[in-house]
Order: sequence, then C-alpha cells, then structure tokens
Amino acid sequence: MVEEPISSERFAVLVEQAGLTLTPEQFDELREGYRFVARMQKSVRRPRDRAAEPAHIFVHPRVEG
Amino acid sequence: MMDPTQLTIAEASRAIREGTLSPVALTEAYLDRIAALDGELHSYVLVLRDQALKAAQMPARGPLHGIPIGLKDIYKTSGIRTTAGSRRYLDHVPNEDAETWVRLRNAGAVLLGKQETHEFAIGGPDFTLPFEPARNPWNTAHYPAGSSSGSAAAVAAGLCAGAMGSDTGGSIRGPAAYCGIVGLKPTYGRVSRRGVFPLSYTLDHCGPLTRTVEDCAIMMQALAGYDPLDPASADMPVPDYRAALTSRLDGLRIGVVRHFHERDAVAQFGADSAPSPVYAAAFDAACRALESLGARLVDVQLSPLVDYLDANRLIMLAEAYALHEKDFRERPQDFGHHMFARIALGAFLSAADYVEAMRQRRELAVEFARAIDGLDAVVSANSTGPAPRIDAIPTYSTFERASYTGPYNLTGSPALSVPIGFEDGLPLAFQIVGSPFDEAGVMRVGHAFEHATDFHRQRPPIAASLP
Repeated sequence: MVEEPISSERFAVLVEQAGLTLTPEQFDELREGYRFVARMQKSVRRPRDRAAEPAHIFVHPRVEG
Repeated sequence: MMDPTQLTIAEASRAIREGTLSPVALTEAYLDRIAALDGELHSYVLVLRDQALKAAQMPARGPLHGIPIGLKDIYKTSGIRTTAGSRRYLDHVPNEDAETWVRLRNAGAVLLGKQETHEFAIGGPDFTLPFEPARNPWNTAHYPAGSSSGSAAAVAAGLCAGAMGSDTGGSIRGPAAYCGIVGLKPTYGRVSRRGVFPLSYTLDHCGPLTRTVEDCAIMMQALAGYDPLDPASADMPVPDYRAALTSRLDGLRIGVVRHFHERDAVAQFGADSAPSPVYAAAFDAACRALESLGARLVDVQLSPLVDYLDANRLIMLAEAYALHEKDFRERPQDFGHHMFARIALGAFLSAADYVEAMRQRRELAVEFARAIDGLDAVVSANSTGPAPRIDAIPTYSTFERASYTGPYNLTGSPALSVPIGFEDGLPLAFQIVGSPFDEAGVMRVGHAFEHATDFHRQRPPIAASLP
C-alpha cells in the first residue's frame, strides 16, 4: 500500500499550521510518513448513517465519597 | 538447592507458603541474575536492590507474598524515578504510585526495579535515548518487540518472576510473542490505568507478562477490579481466575480469524507483511491442538484488517499528539528520534478525522461483538514470523506493516498471547481473544493449550541457572 508523498510546498503549509519547528531532516522524514496519515484519513471517511455515533460518548463522572 | 528463579510464580508461592523458600533468598537470587546478565539484555533502567531486599523481609500480606516483579518504567512509583523512557522525564520522581503497583504491593509483591520501555510507550527501539533498548533473550541481536520490551525480556530471561506492561496497539502481546512468554491485555476497564503515563486514553490497557497462564491468572487476581479514580474503570465482579483454569476444552466453540493473516496482510500491506510458512504451519497446528482438547473451531469473518488498524492507529496518533503537542512545539529536542517522527504525524489530523475514526471504532466493536456472540473465544494471529534484528526496525514500522494485535485494542477485548512454536530459534505466538470481561475464558483456553504443548516450558539459554 504505497501512496504518493505529499508535495514539499503543501507539507510546509501543514507544518506551519501545526506550529512545529522542524529540522530539514525532520521535515523530510515527516513528509515521508505523512502518507500513512493520508491513508488513515481516507480509510475512516466513508458513508455512514448520521445516527452512527462515535465509540466514546459523554459519561457523567462519578464522584466518590 | 534448586535455583529458585527457575520456579514459576505459582511454584515459588507454594514454596514460600510451605516455608521451603524465603522471599529474601528468592529476591537475592533474582538480583544476582540481574547483576550478572542485564549488562547484555538492558531490560532494567533502575534496579532497586536495597528496597527490594527490605520489602522481601515484610510479613506475609497476600497471595503474591515475596514474589519479585518488575514494572515498565511508565508506571509511577512514589519516591522512585519514573522516566517513561524519555529525556523529558529523566529526573522525574513521582509522589504517587500507579494503582496497579499499589494492588500488587498489597498482595505482597516485591519490586525489583523499573524496566526499559520505548519512549512514552511508542518511540523505539531508539538508540538516541538515554537508555539502551532491551534485547531479545533468545538472541540478543534481535528485537524483543515493544513497547514493553524490558518487561518481556526480563520475564523471559528469568530476571523477574512477572512484570507489568501496557498495550495500546499490542505493546504487551507483541513483546510476549517475540520473547516466548505469556502476555495479557485485559478488557478495557478491567485493570486500572491510573498512575501510568498515558499514550492514548481510549486505547491504553495495563496488564501482566508472565511465564505461564497460571501465573498470569495469579497476577490478574491482584490487579483486576474497580478503581473509582480511573474514569474508564468498570465496576464489574472479578471471578476466581485460577479456579477457571482447566486442562480440557470439551464443548467449547472457538472462532478462528484466518483472513487477517492469510489474505488481508499481503493484500493491504504488501509482501513484507506475509506470514512466514513456519508461522502459518504453527498457527494451524495450534488450532489442531485446540481441537484435540475438545474444542470445536469455526471460521470467523470480520471486516478487512486495514479497517481495524487504520482506526486504531489514527485514534492513537490523535490522542498521543494532543498529550505531547505543547512539548513538541516548545522542546522538540527533548524527544528521541522515533517518538518525535511517529507522534508528530498526529499534528496533521483534524478533529473530524478523529471523530470519524471513533465512529468506525464503534462499528467494528459492534461487528466483533456479533462475531464472538455464541463463541467461547476467538483465536487470531500474533506477529507472523520470528523477531527481526533490532537494527532493522524502520521508523514507521508502527504504520507500514500488518499488525494483528491492534484490532483488539480497538474493540477493548481481553486478548492473551501464548507461545505456539519456534522459527530459527525464536518464539512464535497466537492470540486468544474473548468477550468483554471474560479474562477467565481466554486464560482457560490458554492454560489448556499450555497443558497440551510444551512451548511455554522452553526457555532461552540465558535463562539457565547461573554457574
């Protein structure tokens, strides 16, 4: 499962938005790793009924004692 | 006299109760082994010789009286350095204990030391960290898996009787598999996570690593139960785990998830994820062993493996990044290479990505609950080949290869790793997975399997008694 790497220009925008300061080596490595993020994002976005709830929902806390 | 470190927890406990073994002698024997062998294994980051010997002199307190154990160094220990394997916490001395350690100590366990972990339970094996990565006791050129690497290596090498690990995508069961021991990821909510450095709040599980399933049951008896201060803790009754162990499985229906490793791995992750032929044969032989014990096997079909893994990994990344975002922005130099490279990817996820992954998680958890309904357990592959060399682990191994453990973090199911064979002198394992809170059921199957095989009795050469 090999995805095309994101362009350097596009990835630089994402890094800036994230507020990360990366060395050139970190930039290249994370850009390479970004393909896994892209795969995951694509994988979990699929048609669902609007009533399909997430696995975690709010639960009232219990206060002991 | 026999070397007491060769005894299982069950055997050592019996000897202590009968007065033929003293906790001090047992603790000294383990400390001697650590001193002699851990320079090669690097399974401990801190050895508590004086404290352990003092604790071994305490009067009997419970069923683990005098049993020497280790804790992965993400378990907080009051007054004792807890680093999470990171420069960020190199001098961190907590003022609280992990709830699990409190329970083990109250049951009489003796703490030998803190054990090597991947940084924050994700970044390893990393040679840029302050602590050398733990080595596989079966072959020290090889990887013991992670992130509970030190704990598994120490149990397998006879440097503690049992240990605590944590598991967010397989960090108990992977090391158990590669080191040839037993590892249990209990049901989400069964064992308190309080006082353990989090990686991913909704996927983290705490559990034991032991040499046998019976020892796992003994540790679980002390560990399981409601903790009102852990928001995820479940107020559920705790059965007698040891009493549930049997040598036969007559009448049980056990599902087999074959398509994850037989089809999905290569189709979805490429040829590098293909199970080795030896593993495939060992898995089939293990299934036949379950049938010979009286179980009836049925094939189970789930959604593709990648659906489970992508949701598991996205949730982990999002939650872990949220935990470390401030430090990643302000002091990235404090982190090891692997931790930063892996978790910084979470910066590029959106809130909608996370919610969608959580919606997928519910769908898959419901699917698995339906699949296991009417079955007593399900067996599933673990790592489908022997441990690779420790210098051959890619930075993004966590994301690029098939994994068979992550699906059961997503479903929160109890999952037990048990040895099923060897390849090139390195251990192989499979998983026994149960319905929520049925740890007794998975341990029953695992114990019976052990009874019919001898893989768990085989120990690495380094585990032999000291001369």
